[in-house]
Order: sequence, then structure tokens, then C-alpha cells
Amino acid sequence: MNIDYIIQISGPMLEGARTTVLLFLIVIVLSIPLGMAVTLMAKSRFKPLAWIAHTYIYVMRGTPLLLQLLFFCFGLPQIPVIGQYLVMDRFVAAALGFILNYGAYFAEIFRGGLLSIDKGQHEAAKVLGLSRWQTLRKVILAQMFRVALPAVANESITLVKDTALLYAVAVPELLNFAKTAVNRDFTVVPFVVAGIIYLLMTLVLTLFFKALEKRFKFE
Amino acid sequence: MAMSSMSNIIEVSQLQKSFGSLSVLKNISFDMKPGEVVAVIGPSGSGKSTMLRSLVHLEEVTKGSIRISGQALVENGHYASGAAIKDITAGMGMVFQHFNLFPHLTVRGNLELAPRTLKRKSVQEIKAASRELLAKVGLADKADVYPSTLSGGQKQRVAIARALMQSPEILLFDEPTSALDPELTGEVLRVIRQLAEENMTMMIVTHEMSFARDVADRIFFMDNGEIAEAGTPEELFGNPKLERTRAFLMRE
Repeated sequence: MNIDYIIQISGPMLEGARTTVLLFLIVIVLSIPLGMAVTLMAKSRFKPLAWIAHTYIYVMRGTPLLLQLLFFCFGLPQIPVIGQYLVMDRFVAAALGFILNYGAYFAEIFRGGLLSIDKGQHEAAKVLGLSRWQTLRKVILAQMFRVALPAVANESITLVKDTALLYAVAVPELLNFAKTAVNRDFTVVPFVVAGIIYLLMTLVLTLFFKALEKRFKFE
Repeated sequence: MAMSSMSNIIEVSQLQKSFGSLSVLKNISFDMKPGEVVAVIGPSGSGKSTMLRSLVHLEEVTKGSIRISGQALVENGHYASGAAIKDITAGMGMVFQHFNLFPHLTVRGNLELAPRTLKRKSVQEIKAASRELLAKVGLADKADVYPSTLSGGQKQRVAIARALMQSPEILLFDEPTSALDPELTGEVLRVIRQLAEENMTMMIVTHEMSFARDVADRIFFMDNGEIAEAGTPEELFGNPKLERTRAFLMRE
């Protein structure tokens, strides 16, 4: 293994890692609010809304992420008549698939967080004169996020690794560059470098969530 | 003023609550005067908590009426509108068996959350009130800690201070010392006793017989979903009329 070679391939691989990070950020920023909204829908007293939320969660969790990505990138344009309007940039289509998939998982994580909150919290808030919406905002959500934090951390780390699925829809990213270099140069080194870059990314996330958990310990 | 101080602050008549064929409250009627302290005793499952909770609309009754300061919360089983219910119950504070403090907020945050959210007072007034009430319950030095660091007795005193933040006309206590270690009940009971001396109107569901006897103007003995016997502490503890009251007091 020679240092010059590693430096030489690291440039394009970090370039690929940029796509990975970009996808990660887009998906996290959009799928967490989506998950939150779906959780609230699932709890809605208006039944059709709850039914839609449950169906959505069931479909997104019940089918492979890879199938969903292929569906958005290559399936949608094949739909008769409207398909021609559904041709998207592959990165955008894949990001959409990721957001919808992770939104469903986050919805379930948040639902678990809500279940953990004692009904005494709602009662105390009600007697103090808070409306349902005020109670949700000021009392329930903060506690729910705290309970959900370890699971959210876990899911985020899974997302970093799942971005490698972009490989399957031919969007150039970290793994894609590594594979190209391996094929071209007949060496395993690019895979090792890719592994290290993934580890660095997940390390940053791990430390970030550790700090968050500490910050919101309420002690 | 003499007239209004004579009128009832709570009027409950023929309250009933049932789940299917199971009736939890059977024909409960009573009045309370301003400044009066009523202790509710009775075996578990007798409907004490359900009755108390129905006064602040944490439980809905099936039949009967509840009037708070003359306003009907529920009249013959028909509830007032949502806004009216909020308005009518706004003057009632409640202290729960398990405190129900907000764990994500500091002690001060627990006291100030509702008033700050509802914005009925200025932030200055709210801060001054929380400082004063924490001092009143003896926890001035705990304003900035989280509830998880407090003992049970301290938590319950915070809960009382939080309830007092809404300047309630009526305070309801649902077994305020039942979740506490015996050595911690004293500090909570002292605070409640002080409120009684300040003429706070209170209804206290409790298992602390000697405290009930000591602090209450009247005792309700509930059994099997009804107020079986009511009277002054002297009457009820000294000379209970019913055999089941006598049997209950013997057991306690």
C-alpha cells in the first residue's frame, strides 16, 4: 500500500463522499419532519388520515429500500401517459425515495416516543389550562424527542451506510468511485479507503448524538 | 360580599358515571363553601378519584350536574362548550398522586410554563410569582434543577407551587402523599395545612386519616361509588353512623 496512491485516489473519493453527505443531509432534514407529520396523522382522530398514515408506513417499511429506489428512478417514467412527466434527475428521484422510506421509519420511532409518555403529562397540562396543541408543542414533543434520540441516532447511522445504494441507480458517489478505482487499478485499497471514510462519517454522527443526549439529559 | 361568601363555590348534584353496566359514581351530591376544606376518604375503587377528577373535567360523567362558582360545567349530563369548560375549570388547580411534573423543564420552568404560554400576565409578574411560591413551599434554592434530582416530597411541593401559579380558587388533591415514603409525607402535609390556614378551598382525597381529621372541615366517606356518610371530623371519626364507615375506620 503506498501513500502516494492513497492520496491520488482520495481526491475523487472525497468528491464522491460529497454526494453521500449531500444526500444524507437532504434526507435527514426532510424525513424527520415528514416522520413527525406522519406520526401526528397516525394519531389523528380523523380516521381516514390515520388510515393513510398507517398504509404509508406499512408500504415503506414492508418493501425493500432498493426496490423503492429503482421504482422512483426507473419505474415512474414507465407509467403509461403520465410517466413522461415523471422523469427526474436520478439523484433527485433517489433522494425522494430515501426521504419517503426514512420518513416512515422516523414516524414509527416518534410513535414509540409518544407511547412512552405518561398520560399524567397530558392531564397536568390540561388542568394548567394548556390547549391540546400547546400541550403537544410545549410538553409532549420535547419529551418525545428525548426518548426517540437513541433510535434516531441509530437510524441516522444506517442512513449514512444506505446512501451506498445510490450505486445501484448509477449515481456517482463514494462507493461508486471506490469500485471504479478497484476495477481500474487492480487493488483492494480503494475499498479500504472508502470504509475509512464511512467510518469517519459515522464517527462524527455518533459524537454528535452523544453530545445531544448529554445536552438533553434533564438532570 | 357577605352574600357571595355564603354561596357555594362547588355544587354537585346527582352525579353518575358508568362504563357499560358498571357504575363508578352513583348519585353523588354535595356543596362546598368558599374556604372550606373537605377530605374524601374511603376504600380503593370507591370512586374518590373519579369524583375528584370529574370536577376538573379529567373524567366525563354520564348524568348529573356540576356547578363551579355558579357556572354549569355539566348540567343534567350535558357539558358546556369546550371554551366554556376551559373557562370554568381555569380557577381550579389539581395536585396528582404521581406529581406529573414536566421532566424536561426545570422546577422554575414547571411553574412558569402554563402562565408564560397563556400570556395572561407579564413575564416579570410570572417570574416574581414563581419565586414567591417556591419560597412558600420551601424550595427557593431548587428553582434551576430538574425534577429528576428531587425527592418525592420535594416534587410534590413543586407540584403544589405549580398549581398555585394559576391563582386557583379551588385546589384539588388526588392522594397527594400516597406515592411518598412515609418520612416525606410530613413536608407535603405541612404545605397543605398552611394553605388551609390561608382559607384556600380544597378537596383532598387521602388515606392519611389523622391528617384528614386535623385539617378538614368536613369528611366525606365514599364507598361503592357514593358518599356513604359525610360530617365533621368529630362526627365521622368520633361517632360514625354507618357500620361500613366504622369498619373502614377500624381497618385504616
